[in-house]
Amino acid sequence: MEGEIPRKNWHDKNYKLMLLIPLILIVGSLVYLGVNYSQTGELFKRDISLTGGTSITIYDENISTTDLENALISELPDLSVKRLYELGTNEQKAVVVETTLEPESAKSILENYLGYELTEGENSDVAFTGSVLSESFYSQLLIAILIAFVFMAIVVFVIFRSIIPSAAVIFSAFANILMTLMFVDIIGMKLSTAGIVSFLMIIGYSIDTDILLTNRILKRREGSLNEKIFGAFKTGITMTLTSFFAILGALIFVQSFSIVLTQIFTILVIGLGFDIINTWITNVSVLKWYVERKERRN
Amino acid sequence: MSREKRGETKMKLGFKIWLLIVVLVLSLISIFAGSGLFQSGVVLTEINSNSSLYSQGMRPGQLIISINDENIKNVEDYSRVISDNFTPGVNSRLVIATDKGEYSFYGNEFPGLVVTEIPKSNLKLGLDLSGGARALIKAENKSLSQLELNDLVEITQNRFNAFGLTDLQVSSVSDLSGNNFMLIEIAGATPSDLRNLVSEQGKFEAKIGNETVFEGGEKDIASVGRDAQNARIEGCSPDGSGSYFCRFSFSITLSPEAAQKHADITKNISVNTTPEGNYLVEKLNLFLDDNLVDSLLISEGLKGRVTTQIQISGSGAGSTEEEALTEARAQMKHLQTVLMTGSLPYKLEIVKLDTISPKLGEEFMRFILISGAIAILIISIIIFARYRKIKSSIAMIGTSVSEVIIILGVASLIQWNLDLPSIAGIIAGIGTGIDDVIVLMDEARSKAILNIKQKIKRAFTIILGAYFTSLVSLLPLMWAGAGLLKGFALTTIIGISVGVFITRPAFGEMLKRFSENSKN
Repeated sequence: MEGEIPRKNWHDKNYKLMLLIPLILIVGSLVYLGVNYSQTGELFKRDISLTGGTSITIYDENISTTDLENALISELPDLSVKRLYELGTNEQKAVVVETTLEPESAKSILENYLGYELTEGENSDVAFTGSVLSESFYSQLLIAILIAFVFMAIVVFVIFRSIIPSAAVIFSAFANILMTLMFVDIIGMKLSTAGIVSFLMIIGYSIDTDILLTNRILKRREGSLNEKIFGAFKTGITMTLTSFFAILGALIFVQSFSIVLTQIFTILVIGLGFDIINTWITNVSVLKWYVERKERRN
Repeated sequence: MSREKRGETKMKLGFKIWLLIVVLVLSLISIFAGSGLFQSGVVLTEINSNSSLYSQGMRPGQLIISINDENIKNVEDYSRVISDNFTPGVNSRLVIATDKGEYSFYGNEFPGLVVTEIPKSNLKLGLDLSGGARALIKAENKSLSQLELNDLVEITQNRFNAFGLTDLQVSSVSDLSGNNFMLIEIAGATPSDLRNLVSEQGKFEAKIGNETVFEGGEKDIASVGRDAQNARIEGCSPDGSGSYFCRFSFSITLSPEAAQKHADITKNISVNTTPEGNYLVEKLNLFLDDNLVDSLLISEGLKGRVTTQIQISGSGAGSTEEEALTEARAQMKHLQTVLMTGSLPYKLEIVKLDTISPKLGEEFMRFILISGAIAILIISIIIFARYRKIKSSIAMIGTSVSEVIIILGVASLIQWNLDLPSIAGIIAGIGTGIDDVIVLMDEARSKAILNIKQKIKRAFTIILGAYFTSLVSLLPLMWAGAGLLKGFALTTIIGISVGVFITRPAFGEMLKRFSENSKN
């Protein structure tokens, strides 16, 4: 216990300053997304499930993804080529070609390149989403996320019944979404419908630790403020790290065979990472500030 | 501890733990009852509705147990027994025993039965995992009312059934913006002309000059010949330029009104005398979606006559004779289908279409199970490392695993199709589940001067808070995106609810017992 006293003091002195870390990240994310928006009219990159287009999976062990990409990049707009393989042997199982073109033309261009006919359900699979539908999906999903966020905020207010702590929880969740969105876009990921849903999962995961923290600090009588924070931290970090490593482990395996699950898991891992910052810096600092001010006033 | 006392603890497992055990057992029953683990045989998935077996009452879904007293354990057995007992072209007798009774067959052409292995569990996998095709359809330039949509669903269902596809679901779905769609889901292999089949309006018209004699559908067409006597391939021939074409023809029966119309129109048309025979000057032109399919000569004898029997013909072309034959058969089936089911009052547009090979689906499931196992393994390692208590750690992991089992149990009970979003939901459920048992564990171990019951209660205020926030944030997804993400929302809601109301209270109870035992 002895060793912890100076650490606590350090935190007492610097916790407000530490808020700079999330603040810089939040401002950075806002600037990044803002620049994105002013340049492209979009906050982030969307894949064909949200813009409309065709995804053709070709079950062929011998196609080279780079050759295909180089050969067809001018013919297939917004081309992206991915590879599905056997984990361990690295043996290719299929190639997934995505383009905003409609399926008939995309198929015939690919058939020309490959030199054989593509039969759906046999040597290939096709997924097509019309652009009107995907635009409507996209706006509905954004609305769904927004409604979810508002609902979540209301429940948080009902649970804690005081403005600043509730606002801190909600703000942490918001910051988490923002930072994850920026990071996901920087690594070049194009968001799909499943990707948007992962953000909903991030709200769920990040709220868990925030509620734990706020509950322990506001509703417990025993122990000093710092003891309560440290106790909550021990529990909360176990929660986050367990989920983080479990999903990371699954992700390494999943990326060989499923583009959808790869995206969900990647976003979750990033979100859980930022959740550590947003719960244990953003939320802790605001709460500590709030409690100390309240104590001083009494 | 005295023996008596131990007996008591054993007896009084507590209501919450008993509830968990009972729900777990029921879930396992729901997942595995009646599955391939306990039965042998093969499941009939498709049967030709023209066959004599069908008229005896044989239907898809029945379990074939034996054929001519030879037990059928799997699909290989089935194929072997069929080829041993049946030679095409030779009249043979087969006695097929199923779980619903015995059916006998006698003939020289085996009725198309398609069978598959009994599923290992009652879990229904979504098309994106098991393979199949899914199409989301809307009317072109028109928004459909619920009533129109219901009609469309019915016509489409009929069309697919007429085409011979049975393992499919047609339903109407709507999204948050109030758009209505028709959702078609076909399990297994993708029919090759799916796109035409679902999106084609199927407007069939038979015209003489500019006058329509009859149209596809029940009003004008009483029946369509589909058996060997009334529908056949006439013959194939090379067309001189290296390709082949095959002609087909089948008979249809017109309704009395349509037959009368035919008589009225033909009676004023003059006759053309040719060396091949005497025909009317005008031909009977067949149009499908405004494209000319075929032109038929009308023989002199039919002029002004009320005839109900009409011969419809057409052709299919291909680069080899076999290809032309397949094409002709497909064309004939297609024409028969639209003649039977009639046309749709509007043009359709496929707004989303996905096909997934069945062979990929199987591997997929295996991989998902492996990644689930990896995740649980990592969770176990972290939990053991953090708490270093075998009994509680096992209880923690057991709680999580039982949540997954219960989610799957509920899914198979309500016949929910587990698709990829649902799997993501289960993963989300495991994640929050582990979070909550960690909260419980830490509260129970806290040094606060409270009894264990109060500590558990404290943990539950946190757990319930997290539960309600997650619950409300999932609700909008039940309706967004034409319900395609409903699976995610539903499995997550089931998962977190099962956790909060069944498994985690039981875990809390276990913690109480552990703590009481350690005190003794």
